[in-house]
Amino acid sequence: MKFIKNFVLILLFLVFAEFAQCADVIKIGIVDTYSGPATTFTQDVLDGFSLALSQINQKGVLGKKIEFVTRDDKFKPDIALTMAKELVLKENVDILMGTISSASALAISDFCKKEKIPFLVTFAKSDKITGEKGHRYVFNMNENTEMAGRAAAKVLSKKNFKKYWIAGDDYEYGHAIANSVFNHLKELNPKVEKLGETWWKVGETDFTPYITQILSAKPDFVIVATGGAGMVNFQKAAQSTGFNKKIPFYQHTAIELSTLMPQGKNAPEGVYGTANYLFYYPATKENKEFAESFKKKYGRYPKSGALYGYITAHMIAKAFEKAGKVDKEKFIDALEGLTVDSPIGKVEMRACDHQIMLPTFFGITKKSSEYDFLIASDIISIPAKEYMPTCQEVLKLRK
Amino acid sequence: MNSSSILTQLIVGLSRTMILFIVSSGMSLILGVLRIPNVAHGSFYMIGAFLSYTITSFLGEGSYSFWLGITLAPIIVGLIGFFLERGFFSYLYEREHLMLLLLTFGFASILGDLVKLTWGAEYRTMNTPAFLQGSADFFGLPIPNYNLFLLLIGPVIAIILWFIFNKTKFGKIARAAAVDKEMVSAVGINVNLIFSLTFVFGCLLAGLGGALIAPIVNISLGMDHSLIMEVFLIVIIGGLGNIWGALLGSLIFGITQSFGILIWPQFGIIFPYLAVVIVLLIRPRGLLSSTW
Amino acid sequence: MVKRTVLFILIFSFLAVLPLFMPRFYVYLISIILLTGLLATSLNLAIGYCGIYQFHHAIFYGLGAYGSTLMITKTNVSPFIAFIVGPIVALLFSLLIGLICLRLTKLYFGMLQISLGSLIWAIVYRWYSFTGGDDGIHGIPVPEVFANIKGSYYFTLIIVSISIFILYRIVNSPFGKTIQGIRDNPIRTVSIGVNIDVHKLVVLMIAGFFGGVSGMLFVVVDNAVFPDMMFWTHSLEILIMTLLGGMYTFWGPFIGAVIIVSLRTYLGSVTQYWPMILGIILIFVIIFLPQGIYGLIEDFIKGNAHNARS
Repeated sequence: MKFIKNFVLILLFLVFAEFAQCADVIKIGIVDTYSGPATTFTQDVLDGFSLALSQINQKGVLGKKIEFVTRDDKFKPDIALTMAKELVLKENVDILMGTISSASALAISDFCKKEKIPFLVTFAKSDKITGEKGHRYVFNMNENTEMAGRAAAKVLSKKNFKKYWIAGDDYEYGHAIANSVFNHLKELNPKVEKLGETWWKVGETDFTPYITQILSAKPDFVIVATGGAGMVNFQKAAQSTGFNKKIPFYQHTAIELSTLMPQGKNAPEGVYGTANYLFYYPATKENKEFAESFKKKYGRYPKSGALYGYITAHMIAKAFEKAGKVDKEKFIDALEGLTVDSPIGKVEMRACDHQIMLPTFFGITKKSSEYDFLIASDIISIPAKEYMPTCQEVLKLRK
Repeated sequence: MNSSSILTQLIVGLSRTMILFIVSSGMSLILGVLRIPNVAHGSFYMIGAFLSYTITSFLGEGSYSFWLGITLAPIIVGLIGFFLERGFFSYLYEREHLMLLLLTFGFASILGDLVKLTWGAEYRTMNTPAFLQGSADFFGLPIPNYNLFLLLIGPVIAIILWFIFNKTKFGKIARAAAVDKEMVSAVGINVNLIFSLTFVFGCLLAGLGGALIAPIVNISLGMDHSLIMEVFLIVIIGGLGNIWGALLGSLIFGITQSFGILIWPQFGIIFPYLAVVIVLLIRPRGLLSSTW
Repeated sequence: MVKRTVLFILIFSFLAVLPLFMPRFYVYLISIILLTGLLATSLNLAIGYCGIYQFHHAIFYGLGAYGSTLMITKTNVSPFIAFIVGPIVALLFSLLIGLICLRLTKLYFGMLQISLGSLIWAIVYRWYSFTGGDDGIHGIPVPEVFANIKGSYYFTLIIVSISIFILYRIVNSPFGKTIQGIRDNPIRTVSIGVNIDVHKLVVLMIAGFFGGVSGMLFVVVDNAVFPDMMFWTHSLEILIMTLLGGMYTFWGPFIGAVIIVSLRTYLGSVTQYWPMILGIILIFVIIFLPQGIYGLIEDFIKGNAHNARS
C-alpha cells in the first residue's frame, strides 16, 4: 500500500514538474532542412539564433527562458508540414520558425494561418510569403526575391550596360530573381534590352555549354540567377573559362561569405553581387563584436543566416516583452513595427506586410590581403526604405 | 548559334557525360553481373568525392595530391564495397531480387548519414590542380582544360574496362557467371570470389567518378541522390553488363540533356527521358547486348 | 475467419473513436498513416500479387492529388466531384502508361515506367503557370466539414476502409487468383486461356486508381500538393514500405507504411541521424525476416494459435 502511495506521489510530482516546466519557458519550434546541401545555410540560422538566446536568457523574457526544438524536414514540403504540425499540435510551441524551402514555407504559412500561430520565415526568399500569400500570422525575417531584384536594379540602372542576357537555375527562385532584377532595371532605365535567356537545371555542374552560348551572343552584362549550391558551381565555371573577365555578371549573394569562402583564393574577381550581411562591413563596433563572438563560439565567421537567426531571436524577445504576456495575438501586435538593434544597425519589422526591412549591400568581388577568401569591394549600401516595394504595392498583390 | 559554337557545345557537353559513363559502367557491372539493384552506388560516388577533397586538403594542392586523390579515393571506396559485399551481400544472393533493394537502400541511408557524421553539413569545394587550370581556345570560345582532361580520361577508362572484361580470363569468367552462375561454378570456379571482385570494381568506378567530378562541383550531402536515377536508366538503355553500352547510354543521356535545355528552356529536361522511352520501345533489351 | 472479422471490427471501432481522446497531432498523423497504407497496398496489388515491377507508383499518387487540386482551383465544380476526378485521372494515366509499358517485362517495364513517370513529373515541375511548378499549390479550399483535423480524419478513415475492403475482395476473388497465377507461372496461365496482357492492364488500372485515391486524401488532409509527391524518390519509399512489410501478404505493405511513417516522425524528433537508424532496421529485416515484417507477425499469431490448441 505504501509502495503504491509513493509511486502515485512520484508520478504526480513528475506530471506537475512537467507542467511547471512548461509554464516556465517560452517554446520556439524550428522546422528547417538539416540534411543535404541546404544545411550549410540553415546551420548558420540556428547558430545565430542560439548565440542571441544565450545573451537573452541571462535576463530572461517576462521571467521565463526561451527554449527551442528543431525538426529536420529534409527539404521535402510534406515532411516540413508534418513536422510543423507536430511542433504546433504536440509540442505546443508558442512560435514557429523556419524554413529554407519556399514551397515548404508557403505550405506551413497556410497551416499557421489556420492555427493562428505566428510563423517567422528565416531563409526562404519567395516574395509570395509576405506578398501574394501574406497574412497576419506570417513574418519574413530575411530578404525576398522582389527586394533583392529591386536593390540590384537600382545600382545597375546607373551603369552603362545596355544589352543584357539572363541566365539561371530553372526553378521558381531563379526565375523570380531574374525577373525582379530585369523588370525593375527596365523601369529605371528604359534603354536596356534583353538579348536572350538561358536556363539550366538545378544542380547543374557543367556550365561550359551555356557559357559558350552566352559568349557567342555578346551581351554587355549577364544577370545570373543561381541559388544555393549553384552559386559556387557557376563561379567555378566562370573562373575556369575566364568568363568573369570577358563579360561582367551579377548574382544575388555573389559577394556573400557562403559563396566566396569555399572557393578560397580561387574565386573569380570582378563579379557583381548583392548581399544582406557581410561580417566585415560595415566595420562598426556592433558588427565586429557579433562576428568575434560568433567565431569564438562556433569556429567560423558568420554568414547571412547567422544575422537572420540573431535578429529573429531579439525580435521574439522584445516583442514578448512589449506584449507583456505570452499571448500569440499580443505578440503579433507588438512585433508589427518593432525595431531591434543588430550588428548592422537598427532593423524594423514593417507593420503593413510583416516584411523585415534590411539594408542591401552591393559590391564587386576582389582578392583580399587580409583573408584567405575574396571579399566585396566598392560597397554601396542601400537602405531598405530606398528600394523596398511600398506597402501599397505589396498589399495590392494580396487582393 | 553558329556551327563553331554548336561544336563547342558538343565537346564540352561530352565531358560531363564522361563522369556519367564512369559511374554507370560501375553500375552496369554490379547490376549486370551480380544482379543487385545497387541504390548505394550514389553513396559511393559521394564518398569518392569527399575522400578526394580530404586527401587534397591534407596534402596541399599540387598535382601530386590530385593524382593521389583520384587513385586513393576509389581504392578506399572499393575497400568499403569489399567489406559490404563480404559482410552482407554475399549471404543474400539467393534472396528475392527485389528484397535486395531493401538492403542497398538501407546501406545508402546509413552511408549518407555516416558522411554527414564524418564531414559535417557544410559544403566543400576543392580546386582543379594547377596544371589543369585555365582554358583552351576553341574558335574563340573557351573550353576549360579540366573538361578536356575528362574527355581524354573517359575513353581511356572505357578501353581499360573493355580490355579487362572482354580480354582477360577474369572478365570472361565474370561475364559467363552473369549469364549462368551454376554452370560456371560447376566447372570448379570460385564464383563468389569473382562476384566479390566485380562488386569491388563497380564501387571503385563509382568512387572514381566522384573523385573526378570533385574539383568542378560543390561537394555536398545529397550528391548521392543527384545521379543515381540517371545511372539506372543509362545502364538499362545501354545493355546490362556492357561497358560500351554504358558509354552509349551516357552519351545519349548527356547530349539530349544539354541540347534539350538550350533548344527549349522551359521543358528541356524532358528530352533525356524521352530518349530513354524511345530507346526502350525500339530496343527493349537495351541498345547493345545484355548479360540478362 | 470469424475471429478475423471481429478483430477488424474492433480495430475499426477503436480508430473511429480515436479523435475523442487523442491529441490532434496523433489524429493527423494517423490520417497520413492510413492514406500511406492504402498507397502501399495499391502498389502491392501490382507488384506483390501480379509480379509487375511497378517502379514509379508515386506518379499515380501525384496525379490523383494534382487532378483533384486543379479541378478545385481552376474550375467551379463541386469539390466532391473533384475528389473523384483525381483518382480517375490517375486511372486514365495508368491505362495509358500500361498500354505503352506492357510490351516489356520485369526490370525493363519498371525502367520504362520510371522514364514515362519522370516525363510527367518534369512537366508538372516546369509548368509553373498551370501546376504551380516547384512551389506546389497550398491552401487548397476543401469543404468545411473536412477542413479540420477531425473531419479530414473521418473522411480518410471511411475512404481508406472502403478501398482496402475492395482491394481485399479483389485479391481473394477468382481474378485475384488468376493474377497470382500470372505472377508465378505465366506460361501455364496462358495455356489455360487467360489473356495475360488484359489482366495486367486491369491490375495496373486498379492499382493506379487507388494510388490516386490516396493522393486525393492527402489533399483533403494537408490541403497542399508538391511535385515531390511524384518524384522517383517517393516511388522508392513506397516500394521500400511494401517490401519491408512483406510483399506477398495483403497486410504487409500497410504495416510497412505504418512503421516507416511512424519511425520517420518519431525518430525525426529524437535525432537528426534517423535515416541511418531506418537503414539499420531495413538491413536487419532483410537478413532475418526474408518474408518481411508481416511474416513475423503471422508466424507469431499462428504459433500462438497452435499452442492454444495443444
